[in-house]
This record gives sequence, C-alpha cells and structure tokens, in this order.
Amino acid sequence: MRRTVEQFRGSTAMAQVTIRNVKKSFGAVDVIHGVSIDIKDGEFVILVGPSGCGKSTLLRMIAGLEQISAGDIEIGSRVVNDLPPKERDIAMVFQNYALYPHMTVADNMGFSLKLARVSKDEIKTRVARAAEILGLQPLLERYPRQLSGGQRQRVAMGRAIVRDPQVFLFDEPLSNLDAKLRVAMRTEIKELHQRLKTTTIYVTHDQIEAMTMADKIVVMRDGVVEQVGAPLDLYDRPENLFVAGFIGSPSMNLIKGKIEGGKFQADGGGVFPLASVPAGYEGKRVIYGTRPEHFVFGAPDGIEAKVVVVEPTGSESMVLSRVGTTELTTVFRERVMARPGETIRISPDTRLVHLFDEASGKRIVSAH
Amino acid sequence: MSRALALKPGTGTALVRHIILFIVAAITLVPVIWVAAAGFRTQISLLIGEFLFTPVMTNFTEVLFSKTSDFLLNYRNSLIVGIASTILCVGTATLAAWSLNRMDWPKWVVHVFLAWALVFHMIPSIALAGAWFGMMRTIGLDNSFLGLILAHAVLNLPMALWLMAVFVRDVPVELVEAARIDGAGTPTILGQVVLPIIAPGLAATSVLTFLFSWNEFAVALTLTMKQTATVPVAIAKFAQDYEIQYTQMAASAALSILPALVLLLVAQRFIVKGLTNGAVK
Repeated sequence: MRRTVEQFRGSTAMAQVTIRNVKKSFGAVDVIHGVSIDIKDGEFVILVGPSGCGKSTLLRMIAGLEQISAGDIEIGSRVVNDLPPKERDIAMVFQNYALYPHMTVADNMGFSLKLARVSKDEIKTRVARAAEILGLQPLLERYPRQLSGGQRQRVAMGRAIVRDPQVFLFDEPLSNLDAKLRVAMRTEIKELHQRLKTTTIYVTHDQIEAMTMADKIVVMRDGVVEQVGAPLDLYDRPENLFVAGFIGSPSMNLIKGKIEGGKFQADGGGVFPLASVPAGYEGKRVIYGTRPEHFVFGAPDGIEAKVVVVEPTGSESMVLSRVGTTELTTVFRERVMARPGETIRISPDTRLVHLFDEASGKRIVSAH
Repeated sequence: MSRALALKPGTGTALVRHIILFIVAAITLVPVIWVAAAGFRTQISLLIGEFLFTPVMTNFTEVLFSKTSDFLLNYRNSLIVGIASTILCVGTATLAAWSLNRMDWPKWVVHVFLAWALVFHMIPSIALAGAWFGMMRTIGLDNSFLGLILAHAVLNLPMALWLMAVFVRDVPVELVEAARIDGAGTPTILGQVVLPIIAPGLAATSVLTFLFSWNEFAVALTLTMKQTATVPVAIAKFAQDYEIQYTQMAASAALSILPALVLLLVAQRFIVKGLTNGAVK
C-alpha cells in the first residue's frame, strides 16, 4: 500500500498555493474584498465561514470555474489567473459528487485520463491503484445510481486522486451525508491526506469539520479573511468577536459590560473576575468572552447563577443559567443535578478569559 | 375483515377507472379503426353504409402498385423530409438550448428569445405558407426537398427548443464543471456528458418533431409538386373535382399511420421518461 501511495506522489512537484489580494465582484456587488492566503506544499487548509461569506467562490476561483476580478492566484509558482481549469493541475470534489450518471465507476474515475489521451492500459492501472487506496475495487463496474452516498463520495475522491493533481479542492464534500457517515468520512479524508500529502483546500461551513481536519483554518466572513491559524490557535486566541463566536461548540459566552475596580461588571448584572486589567482599560467598555467549558462548578466564591435548563449528555452536562439577565452557557464534566430555578455557584477560569474592545470587536488581551 | 374492507373500495375505484379508460381508448381508436376498415371496403359498400362487408385488397394494391399511383414515392419523400428536418431541427434546438442555459446570457435575452419562439409557434402555418412559397421561389428552392426540410425544421423549432431547454437546464451544472475540470472542452462536454444524460429527452423531442413533419399538410402542399409531394398531400389528392376516392384515401391513410405507430411503440418508453423527466426528482 505504501508503495502505491508513493507512486502517486512521484510526479508531483512542490505545490504551494498563493492567493494574493484576490477580489471578486458579480456586477456591482463585491463578494470578495481582497483576500490573501499562503498555503504551503502538502498543507490541509480549510476555508470556513457562514454561508455567503465567499469561501466557495474563492475555491471556485482557484479551480478556474470563476473569473478573478483582481489579484493573483499562484499554484506551484505559476500564476493561473487566466488558465482554464484543466491546465491548473487541480482536481475538485463537489458537494453533490457530480458523478457522470451514464458511466461506470471505473469510467468516471478514468474520464480525465481518457481526455488526456492516456493509453487504455495506463488508465486501467491508475484507476485500479486509486480504487485500491479507497477500497473501491468491488464497485468498479457499477453505476453511480447503484451506490450509497458514502460510496459515491469515495468515487468522487477516486476521480480526483487518479489524476495525481498538485492540489485537491473539496467543496463541502460531506454536507449531503448523514451525521454518522460524515464523521467516518472526515476521518477517511484526513487519513487519505496524511498518506498522499497532496496540498488540499477544503471548504465547509461546519467549524467542527474545520477544527478536526485542518492543518490551518481560514475563517471568512462577508468576503474578508477574519483570521488564519492552526485550529487550536483559533480556539485559544481568537482575534476578534466573530472568530470567538464562530469557533467552538457550544459557542463562547460574549457578555457586554465594563471594567470597574479590576473586575468586569456585566450590563445585565453580575460581576465577573479578571486575572488582570489590560493597560488603559479601567473604566472602559469591553466584551467579556469565556468558553462554556472553562467554568468551575460549585466554587464557593463563584458567581450565583439561576439555572434555566440542564442538558445531560452522559459524558458532560450543559447548563444554561442566568446571572441577572445575562445568559450563560456552561459545560461541566461532572454531573449536574440542579433543577431549573435553583441557584448554583460557578466561576470562570480567569486564565482563559478573552477580552474584546467593544467598539472595534478586536481582541484586547488573553491571560495566557 | 379489514382486508375485505380495504379491498372493496379498491375494486370499486378500479372498475370506474377501467370504464373511463375504456371510453377514452374507444374515442381514440374507433376513428382509426374505422378508417383502416374503410381501406378494405369497396366504394359502394362504404357509400351504402354496409355494416358487415367482405374485405377486399384492391384499394391497397391500387394505392401501392398501380401505375397511376405515386404513393410509394410520396412515402419516400415524407421519410426524407421527416428525417432530415428532425435532425436539423433537434440539432439546432439542442445547441440553442445549451447556449441559452449555459452561456451566461443576460436573463432578459433568454426570456425574450423563448417568448418570441412561442409567439412564432402561435402563427398558423398556413399564414406562413404563402410567404415561404415566394421566398423559396426567389432562391430556387420551391419544389425541392431542401425547401420543405428547412420549412419543417423552422415550424417545429419553437417546440423543440422549449423541450430541449428544459432537458438541458435539468443537467446539473456541477456535472458540466466536473467535466471542465477533467479537461473537457465544450464539444466534448456536449457529446460525452450532456447528450448521454438527456438522451431520453432528445428521443422524445425527435419523435414528436418527426411526427409533426410527417403530418404537416399546409406548407407541404404549397412548397411541393408531383415529384416532391409528401404523404398528407398525396392523401388529399384523392379528393378530386368530380370524385372522392374514399376507400383509396382510407387505405393510404391507414398506411401513413404505420411509421408513426412503429416509432411510438419503439420510443414510447423514452417519450414517457423524457417528458416526465425533471418533474419529479
């Protein structure tokens, strides 16, 4: 198996992708406002963001399916702005798989090679190799309609790897699968990347997918890159309110208020502890961010909170509570038996509190 | 018990349904059978309205083999015009449908184009026949197959365009994009990806186009003469000033149904599949 994989990588040169100040407008509407991203050879990069943020459009521009309005896209060290898709040495996996319904699995996978006038024997060998990697050998003579969703997804990936491209592009490839299969395919794609080490750009709106699979995440909103970084960097040090709220599930508590006397005074009531006050922020308005899993349950000097809902999942308990009118979502490893209306004492871990400037939404300080 | 209860209304509805189907089938088939049967009668038997008659083959032999009859020639003409105009019409319609759906025209261009096609389709063909006769004469295409082929292709183009526009639109855009990434140019995408997928629709449209050409009378009558006349024109010629040869007319009408019948039997599967495609995903 190992040898098979190496044969696949044999011909591939260094394939870094550089996106430099790329813009896209449809008529008068600007959908991407100058995006720059550096993707290293062999890196698994995920573009993530809410729908309409421009992530799919950016991917389609890399693929050559959309014109670039301004800026440059380089694959390898070649500017590909004006090259048609077939000359960019990329392969793409679509959300709905886009398998040719009238061709067998083998023909689907070999179609690009056939168009490139590769000899029949060579096509057969390469399709067989890809089928071996993905466990598709028994399905080669079947038609797409005879396959399950997961199998179709795998054929779509097979069609991509047969070509041995410099870059794989995935456009929300798992969103048509049911929850269980999605988790399984997530692992499979990650493993495939670890074996093939082909540069991969993957688009999703699911931040869990992004967190679990990526080497590097690009968070986008409204056609702008909000933050680029390794998954845990984004989790630990979100640079702004949007990333703070977007990464992590359940999402971070973001509370409005101001700093008074070295503590955070929430507008809705409640005083929250701070490790230290960032210089010049005493008496200023800020947003206090703390993740649901960064609370201590039952701390004697904790904040008094009134329980609204308790959702036990077995491994942990999610508690929605109120301090004054401030709503707090918290997740505890221990089992919480509190009933709605009861008062509990909770205390945020001050080392893991994030502060954001209310006006700019930018991160002020992190205690670690 | 519950089974009997479940069955009873079922059989009742089935009976009603079959009666309705029978009536519809009768309305459709009786005239055809009557015409076919008339082809086996003598003129006298038909005119005195005999119910039981002794079948004769003379009408058919007369129509097919008599020296004065051109029916086989007309049959050949109809086939030539029908096949050629269908290929021309459906080919043009498919390319136009592709262009309208996939080539980033402003929306209004597409709408105006399709609406105009529909308006054109509403003009009775007889209204065009005179003008076309003049035009064809000027460019020397009167009394030629090419003239009639062009005319039939144009007559059927709106319908073919509307049908093909729906079929082409239903081909998922991702398939076309996947093919483009796989390295296919537009001709390859059309030939190897789009056409195989819309084959049922293409077959349905072709059959309908062929049948319309096969049955078309007004324009064929205007643009053809003895040598190029098609079957409907020939059938009409049995009604002459002093005598209407009902039985020979019936015999040729019966013969003219044959290709349509064969085509429908062969292609029925495609037509139903093609015309209902996309209605339900």
